[in-house]
Amino acid sequence: MALLELKVNGQEVRVEAPDTALLLDVLRERLALTGAKRGCETSHCGCCTVRVDGMAVHSCVVLAVRCEGKAIATVEGCGDGMELDRLQRLFLEHGAVQCGYCGPGMLMAAQALLEQNPAPTLDEVKKGLDGNLCRCTGYTPIFDAILAYGRGE
Amino acid sequence: MECKLIRPADLDEALAAREQYTHDALPIAGGQSLLVMMRNRLVAPAALIDLEPIEALRGVEVSSAGISIGAMNTCRQLIASPVLGEEVGVLPVAARQVSSTAVRNLGTIGGNVCHNEPGADLPPALLALNARAAVRRRANAREVPLAEFFTGYFETVLEPDEILCRIDIEHPPAGAAGVYLKHAISPEDLAMVGVAAVVVPDGKQTGGVAEVRIGIGGAAPVPLRAARTEAALKGAVLDAETARAAGETAATEVDPPSDPHAGADYRRKMVSVFVRRALLQAARQIEENGHGAA
Repeated sequence: MALLELKVNGQEVRVEAPDTALLLDVLRERLALTGAKRGCETSHCGCCTVRVDGMAVHSCVVLAVRCEGKAIATVEGCGDGMELDRLQRLFLEHGAVQCGYCGPGMLMAAQALLEQNPAPTLDEVKKGLDGNLCRCTGYTPIFDAILAYGRGE
Repeated sequence: MECKLIRPADLDEALAAREQYTHDALPIAGGQSLLVMMRNRLVAPAALIDLEPIEALRGVEVSSAGISIGAMNTCRQLIASPVLGEEVGVLPVAARQVSSTAVRNLGTIGGNVCHNEPGADLPPALLALNARAAVRRRANAREVPLAEFFTGYFETVLEPDEILCRIDIEHPPAGAAGVYLKHAISPEDLAMVGVAAVVVPDGKQTGGVAEVRIGIGGAAPVPLRAARTEAALKGAVLDAETARAAGETAATEVDPPSDPHAGADYRRKMVSVFVRRALLQAARQIEENGHGAA
């Protein structure tokens, strides 16, 4: 076991976990942050996407110990718990969420994209979300929401 | 059984751990394939040797001898490197086509090469660049041309006490052009067929080539160089007809697998198509630029 010192959504936390614990397991099982979803667990679906030092990563294939000293951001850090942030609001307005399982990962991947590229084209949005599957929406509402964010809506 | 994590401070410590554990431990680079293999119970190492802290495996160095790329460079870093774009542009072009954004953010060149999964995007580009693998064990070092590095499905020449440290590439000849084309059902998939071509113009006539190097992935148990095709193109003039003939020759050099995505015959046919396209694209690059960057 290892004692990890992590910084999640701006908050310092200390948590005990197995040496080779995956970030997804630490977030969900030890820190009760269940926003990042357990999907394929093989880095294909992107339901578990979080940001580590700004980069979108699939937390099912990240060793938690490697995140020490880095800033981890999950969907729980969006908005303030009561109010949605602008990107979340646009997801809602465009119907970008149906069953909702991909939503947290989509939001984190979109955040990472928009931070690097504040006004992406449709092709850039598609490339930025290429690690995230959605089986409900057909993607168009998700792309629309992100494009609207880029237009400053 | 819990898997132990060894975090060496430097390369010497990592090599000592490799020597001590051999088959019982696996080095972990970006983890984007290895952690999936562990999750699927395909491998169950007693320990992982974490290569992340090791400075000697980082960075891109350019000297008169060539370009030396640390094994822990991520695809994201390969794509963002201005010097790689300028010197060996086909490598970042291939890196852009590896899996998805999240995987490119963490997946490394060393991991990609050592994992040797059929259809991986970086090996064809590295083969066409004549890359060499700089390998270390505790007592000594060796250099392996990438064309001799891959030995079978998911297998390489790497011994259980060795670590791939760097990928070394000589400066491509002036005016060379490099192309990587990937054929896959979805762009995030592994390539059914991936073809990289580096074309060196002879500088005398339009389409005239001094040398061509072709790397092919996904179409044999290992990524390979199309040696006979290359030999046939030496000194040729690259036009539609020679490119077509080269594609057909290349199709006879591969030994494609059949799987649910594509049958062997289809893959072989696609090798001829994509070799032809890659050669013609490279020729076009040379013509347009007067000097394409490889």
